[in-house]
Amino acid sequence: MIRIENLHKRFGDVRAVDGVSFTAADGAVTGLLGPNGAGKTTTLRMLYTLMRPDEGRILIEGVDAVTDPEGARFHLGVLPDQSGLYPRLTAREHIHYFGELQGITGADLAHRTEYLLKMLDMAAIADRRVAGFSHGERTKTALARAIVHNPKNVLLDEPTNGLDVMSTRAVREIIRRLKGEGHAVLFSSHVMQEVSALCDTIVVIARGQIVGAGSPDDLRRQTGHENLEDAFVSLSGLGTDGSTDPHSAQGEAGAAS
Amino acid sequence: MNSRSLAQVMVVVRKELVDWSRDRRSIMTVLISSLLAPAIIGFMFSSLASRQRQVEDITVPVVGAAHAPALIEWLQQQPGITITDGPSDPEEAVRTRREDVVVIITDDFARDFAASKPAQIRLVSDSSSQNTRPKVQRVRALFQRYGSEIGSLRLIARGISPVVSVPVQVEDVEVSSAQQRAATILGFIPLFVMLAAFTGAMGIATDSTAGERERGSIEALLVNPAPRSAIAGGKWLAGTATAMLSVVITSALLFALFQYIPLQDLGIRFQLGPAQLLGTMVCVLPICPLIVAIQMYVATFAKSFKEAQSYLSFLMMAQMVPGMMASMNAFPAKAWMYFVPWLGQQTLLTDVLGNKVIHPGVFVVVAVVNIALAIVAVRATAGLFVREKIIFGR
Repeated sequence: MIRIENLHKRFGDVRAVDGVSFTAADGAVTGLLGPNGAGKTTTLRMLYTLMRPDEGRILIEGVDAVTDPEGARFHLGVLPDQSGLYPRLTAREHIHYFGELQGITGADLAHRTEYLLKMLDMAAIADRRVAGFSHGERTKTALARAIVHNPKNVLLDEPTNGLDVMSTRAVREIIRRLKGEGHAVLFSSHVMQEVSALCDTIVVIARGQIVGAGSPDDLRRQTGHENLEDAFVSLSGLGTDGSTDPHSAQGEAGAAS
Repeated sequence: MNSRSLAQVMVVVRKELVDWSRDRRSIMTVLISSLLAPAIIGFMFSSLASRQRQVEDITVPVVGAAHAPALIEWLQQQPGITITDGPSDPEEAVRTRREDVVVIITDDFARDFAASKPAQIRLVSDSSSQNTRPKVQRVRALFQRYGSEIGSLRLIARGISPVVSVPVQVEDVEVSSAQQRAATILGFIPLFVMLAAFTGAMGIATDSTAGERERGSIEALLVNPAPRSAIAGGKWLAGTATAMLSVVITSALLFALFQYIPLQDLGIRFQLGPAQLLGTMVCVLPICPLIVAIQMYVATFAKSFKEAQSYLSFLMMAQMVPGMMASMNAFPAKAWMYFVPWLGQQTLLTDVLGNKVIHPGVFVVVAVVNIALAIVAVRATAGLFVREKIIFGR
């Protein structure tokens, strides 16, 4: 379970995240939806403790991530914005490396690795060096190492970005499975279909602020748009009339994403 | 640091070493730089030895030997001298470097000699040629000796003590001897060993810092619940291991090389035996952690491998300055120098190789100073791993 309250982060004069609050519940998929530069990545970076908020509170399994980042990281599995791999290591070695850093060893680690390789359909590439991997294979490897320790909370920053159909399906499959196992899954996306297909709760973020939150049905009701995409456009102030855009002078926020 | 963090340190060490061992570029760097030192020193010594031999056994081409049979006979009695017939065009032969030196005995030699007038001998040489200078000097000295012997005999024949004609006696003290040159070459050894430490460290120091940033893998790594000090520490220890490996290989190769160099033939009482090898290790290995730590700290500021390498090449030059100065004997060794990194290793190594007796405490203090400074640098690097500009700045 993740709870954030009134989160702020600014870069110079730009308010990248400006008072964001929401909750990602266990056994549910929460989608952080917003256009490019809305502050999704910055919000997630603060959540996974590598960025310090200027203001606000982050609780991960009740652990304050600002005052005890290391303690919070115990409960997190993260697929960051940049998920670079080590070209000279194999997929299996990547999973082992992170597993061992999490304190998993021996038979437990071997077991868990086999499970992940099977679940992500990676058996054929498990012992190949990642240097020649396709984008999909790289994402799977990064995902596997991120959840090797079976973390209670899983954060995924645009996990399906640039993936082909089959890889996208595999990632969605994982997200559903994690949800089914009772994990709290929070992922960001700028793709409407993705979010609507997977999420129990959608948090719409634009220019560093939450502009709408709730189930897909809630959002439809809120905006009066039957089509979820229209609802999204209306909420994020991307509409052409400009009437729903209170921050037009502020420009694109979220310089870091 | 608790046992959990310690285990994490070891996990990072193992991963970095495995990664490094598969990096052909790093391995080649270590191998080439390890071979460089023995190759260069071996080459320098063999050229020195051949030059020395050239001076010892020389062949002197003489034109007009028939004009001075007594002189030729005297020359042939001198050790290491062989007289041959000179070329038809001596000046051309020397200019084209076919001959190093040619002696011409003039037609009037016999007449002038008999009349006790200065009899002329021409020495054709090229003073711009460094290599032949010792040989030319040797030949000139031969004639001077012959001249003074004959002069003395003439004075005695006239009832005068030859000593009278020597109002001033000059004694040459040659400092630029073969020994001296050999010592200069030996002075490069510490430099090469330090260089080996530097190049051995570079692979992991750059790959695990700037490399992580360039690949974008640092974010995922730092999300793990491991203290920054454990991650930086693991990378540091792995880098230290490769730096030390490089030093050991280089020293061992130098050791092997010196078993084959005939130093005695050069009149040098230098040895690189097991004792010196051990001394070299004890002296240089403790600085490896510091070299790695500083390289890591600097490389962490770089966004890419290339950027890191250009930073480190400046660092290398800066590190080499005290070594260069010490090997050129620009300043005499003072006590405080032992405790300054790099300078200390250089001074200490010179002592070790020069068979000076060194108090074991000096080694201990030098090691403690270097390792303490290294820990400071590693902590500073761990501090950088917290900075958002470093983690996210690409």
